[in-house]
Amino acid sequence: MTNYIIRRLLLNVLVLWFVATLVFVATHALPSDFAEKRVASSFSLTDQTEAIKFAREQLGTDKPLWYQYGKFMGELSRGDLGTSYETSKSTWSELGDRLPSTLELGSLIVLVSFSLSIPIGIISAVKQDTWIDYVLRAFSILGVAMPVFFAALLMALFVVRFSLFEIDVVGRPHFWTDPEAAAKLYVVPALAGGVSGGAGIMRILRSQMLEVMRQDYIRTARAKGLQDSKVWVRHAMKNAMLPVLTVMGLTLSGIVGGQIILENMFNIQGIGRFLFTSLNTRDFPPFQGTVLIIGFVIVTTNLAVDVVYAWLDPRIRYT
Amino acid sequence: MANLEQPAVLSSAFPIDYRKKRTVGSVLRTMARLGRRNKLGAFGVVLVVVILGVAIFSPIVQRYGDTQRFETANPDFNPTANPLDIAANPEKQLGSPTILTRYADPFTGDHWLGTDQFGRDIYARIVVGARLAVIIGIGASLIAVVAGTVVGIISGYFGGKLDLMLQRFVDSIQAFPGLVLLMLIVSIMDEPNLALTVAALGFLGFASSVRIVRSAVLSVSQMSYVEAARSYGARDVRIMARHVLPNIVAPVLVIFSISIGLYILAEASLSFLGLGPQDKTTWGKMVNAGRQAVDVHPWESVFSGAAITLTVLAFNLAGDALRDELDPRLRGR
Repeated sequence: MTNYIIRRLLLNVLVLWFVATLVFVATHALPSDFAEKRVASSFSLTDQTEAIKFAREQLGTDKPLWYQYGKFMGELSRGDLGTSYETSKSTWSELGDRLPSTLELGSLIVLVSFSLSIPIGIISAVKQDTWIDYVLRAFSILGVAMPVFFAALLMALFVVRFSLFEIDVVGRPHFWTDPEAAAKLYVVPALAGGVSGGAGIMRILRSQMLEVMRQDYIRTARAKGLQDSKVWVRHAMKNAMLPVLTVMGLTLSGIVGGQIILENMFNIQGIGRFLFTSLNTRDFPPFQGTVLIIGFVIVTTNLAVDVVYAWLDPRIRYT
Repeated sequence: MANLEQPAVLSSAFPIDYRKKRTVGSVLRTMARLGRRNKLGAFGVVLVVVILGVAIFSPIVQRYGDTQRFETANPDFNPTANPLDIAANPEKQLGSPTILTRYADPFTGDHWLGTDQFGRDIYARIVVGARLAVIIGIGASLIAVVAGTVVGIISGYFGGKLDLMLQRFVDSIQAFPGLVLLMLIVSIMDEPNLALTVAALGFLGFASSVRIVRSAVLSVSQMSYVEAARSYGARDVRIMARHVLPNIVAPVLVIFSISIGLYILAEASLSFLGLGPQDKTTWGKMVNAGRQAVDVHPWESVFSGAAITLTVLAFNLAGDALRDELDPRLRGR
């Protein structure tokens, strides 16, 4: 097991190096850079080439690509994610500023998606082929098919039409500064993201439950006179959750995508919005850094899922 | 030699004489039987056929051009109005003989689904968007499946260092959140076009198809018929094309059909963020444009969003149904 984890960690380092190279190559293949965009937007000169040249010298982006790549990798190996061209602050501090909003929204989305999908998946399987099952399945099929921004838009429309509450998209409230305003701001994106994320989990959980409930050990548990609820939760759900765990790692990538959209829609200054704006302004160091951090979170989660999987399921042994 | 062998292999795999003759009627009867067993799937297939029909015949059913701006005669038009009056009553537009029919309500008059902020017919735009969605979904899925199959077979069949490197490459693509990778690729052009969008989506799907194809190839490669082929001296290319490929057709078809909806959804997200094909009318763009006046005229957003949902739903249901028929083991994946 230890060997396995060490090998996976080394492979993850390789993968992250691939990701870093990929994002470096991709950003430098873009047709315009920060200097061009900035000069074009702030100088009304007829001849901007001098200004662009000067800006590139200042930023160090006039150096040959191999040099920039070496610098990027060197900094990376020391845990330095570079400095923003835009604000001259380090990527770490830029991320730190935006982490709270992202964590608020992200944890709410995860919370909603689990608290929706797990009970719904189980009920749907237990009540297989009754009207409850049909309604819940229709809900999950719709949730998978509906784009997250459309779900959010419909919910926001509902809130606005019936004047339920005010969504404050300007004040940027946090739960620790103004809990009420924050709750009003986050409820719609959290529900929308949660439904989108949870719908997929629910479908898998349902089909796993159905599979598990046909197993012999469930019949044994029933035969020895256990209550149905105990059979479902203690025996069936425990086993059905395993494949769901694997999918949760993959859902993470979807949730990140959903966050980019939702943070943009509701003007939440989080990491998703930061990714979008830094790509638009061609502010590469923080963009690259953020992509790497997200990549790190994703590969680490996948590793953690595999390890937990082996720990939960004694039939699985990695060597 | 190849010429001599080909018909022999074909006829042994499909003994024509014993095969049931298929007629239009028998195919329809089979489909009806399957449809009765899987009603949801049948619903999806019917919906897909309708959407494909709309996409193919869009010039006939769209009624108006998707960028055509509608105007009506201006009742307040006054050719002799002086500039001061015009400036004082901007909403009456005294100086122009016509005014744009902006934000017309749906289900009334000529515009079935109303008009948008530029006086364009929403119904026509939805129909044109259907064509775009179908092209993007099927095009991206085709690219992903073809590239994924070729690379997946090579990676799974040869194994070794090549396989290891390819899999790490796939891992690193999957370590990107899909939307970020799409945003990055699409930014290669200042104004992304349709081809670039399809290619970006295809590249994203390529990574996950390689995975599935590779694992299918790994199990097929262990089969004795592959060993047999190798023992009589068949070359690698021949084994891959003749023995491996035909036996992984089911998962490949499943990936193809099941991911169309995903690509349509991903493109809608891109377009919603303003990174979709710039010169085309897409549903994601419409949802975003409709947000401008969503509190007074939500129809553009609502109809285009509903179109996305319905289309993705249809392709998902049809894909699930196909998967259940072709390979029940993949159920729930």
